[in-house]
Amino acid sequence: MRRSSLYMIITASALVICFCALLMMMFEYRGAREEAGAAYIERGAIDTGAANLVSAIYLNYRLFDTLFELLVFSVAVLGVRFYLAEQKGSEEEIARIPESQVIRTAADLLFPPILLLGIYLVLFGHLSPGGGFGGGTVAGTGLLLCAVALGADVVARRFHEAALERFEWEILLAILLLVLIPVLLGRLPFTDLLPRGRLGSLASGGSILIYNALIGIKVFIGTWVVIYSFVRHRGEI
Amino acid sequence: MGAINGVTIAIVLFGIGLLGLILRRDLVIKLLALGLVNGSTILCLVSLNARVDGVAPIVHSQASAPYVDPLPHALVLSAIVINFAILALALVFVMLLVERYHTTDSQRIEHEIEGERIP
Repeated sequence: MRRSSLYMIITASALVICFCALLMMMFEYRGAREEAGAAYIERGAIDTGAANLVSAIYLNYRLFDTLFELLVFSVAVLGVRFYLAEQKGSEEEIARIPESQVIRTAADLLFPPILLLGIYLVLFGHLSPGGGFGGGTVAGTGLLLCAVALGADVVARRFHEAALERFEWEILLAILLLVLIPVLLGRLPFTDLLPRGRLGSLASGGSILIYNALIGIKVFIGTWVVIYSFVRHRGEI
Repeated sequence: MGAINGVTIAIVLFGIGLLGLILRRDLVIKLLALGLVNGSTILCLVSLNARVDGVAPIVHSQASAPYVDPLPHALVLSAIVINFAILALALVFVMLLVERYHTTDSQRIEHEIEGERIP
């Protein structure tokens, strides 16, 4: 027992030392890294039409990475749902927290602005900070506020949870098809076919806006499914 | 840059998180430590390319200073999403273990599993 924890401490310190050494080397490579970044800064806006260079990278240059990121997200949502549904198949009502005028009024007041903020973050992700992941999470947690105020069952009945789960995978399919459409026209996959647009206007950035909207809806649904699975499994909110 | 900057803080947080991950026996605290490790990684990536005079990499006409490198920011996004996925799934497994063994202590769970195996 003593020996094994000593061994663990040695392993941990070795890992930390290796991590530090890696960091020192990253300082050494600073020059090369800045060159790679300079190419994105110089050509990113011209190449993609998006003012926000971060979303230009993850939704245009490195869309391939983002696809698998989405797959990881979907698998996580599926895993949460699968393992929590195994346990209790019961249809009993989810116990509500006691009715509170403060929470009810706050939810009524705050839900529309939160949803609006989520939609704004999704739609303007290529012009300003934001994007599909952040906006979807904001809107999804807005639904959590609603579930706290109205009870999770009421929100779930209004949102048709089983159909939503299918819809989430259909959005992933739609993104895959969008990525593969250029192949039909004899181009390479992941080619952006839409015009770049005028830099800074809403219709700029080629397909980034479409990807952002699809990812936003997907993350919104995924967040709600995860929250609802946990709430239903616990039996109370 | 002084001795206390984002990178050194990230290294310290990473060490604390790693030690917590290995030494603490409570599964939920292990997950919190995992979150700390992930946060320190994000802090490291962001502060490595931080510049005193840099501005956020959003192109506009009257940028007064050079933009910072946007590539680490794009990588941080993947880190956040994957951390969410890991935490959600790990929490589910912890919930299943707690329902079966009624404890979050990893060593007690191990002992009980060993006891189950030898009837």
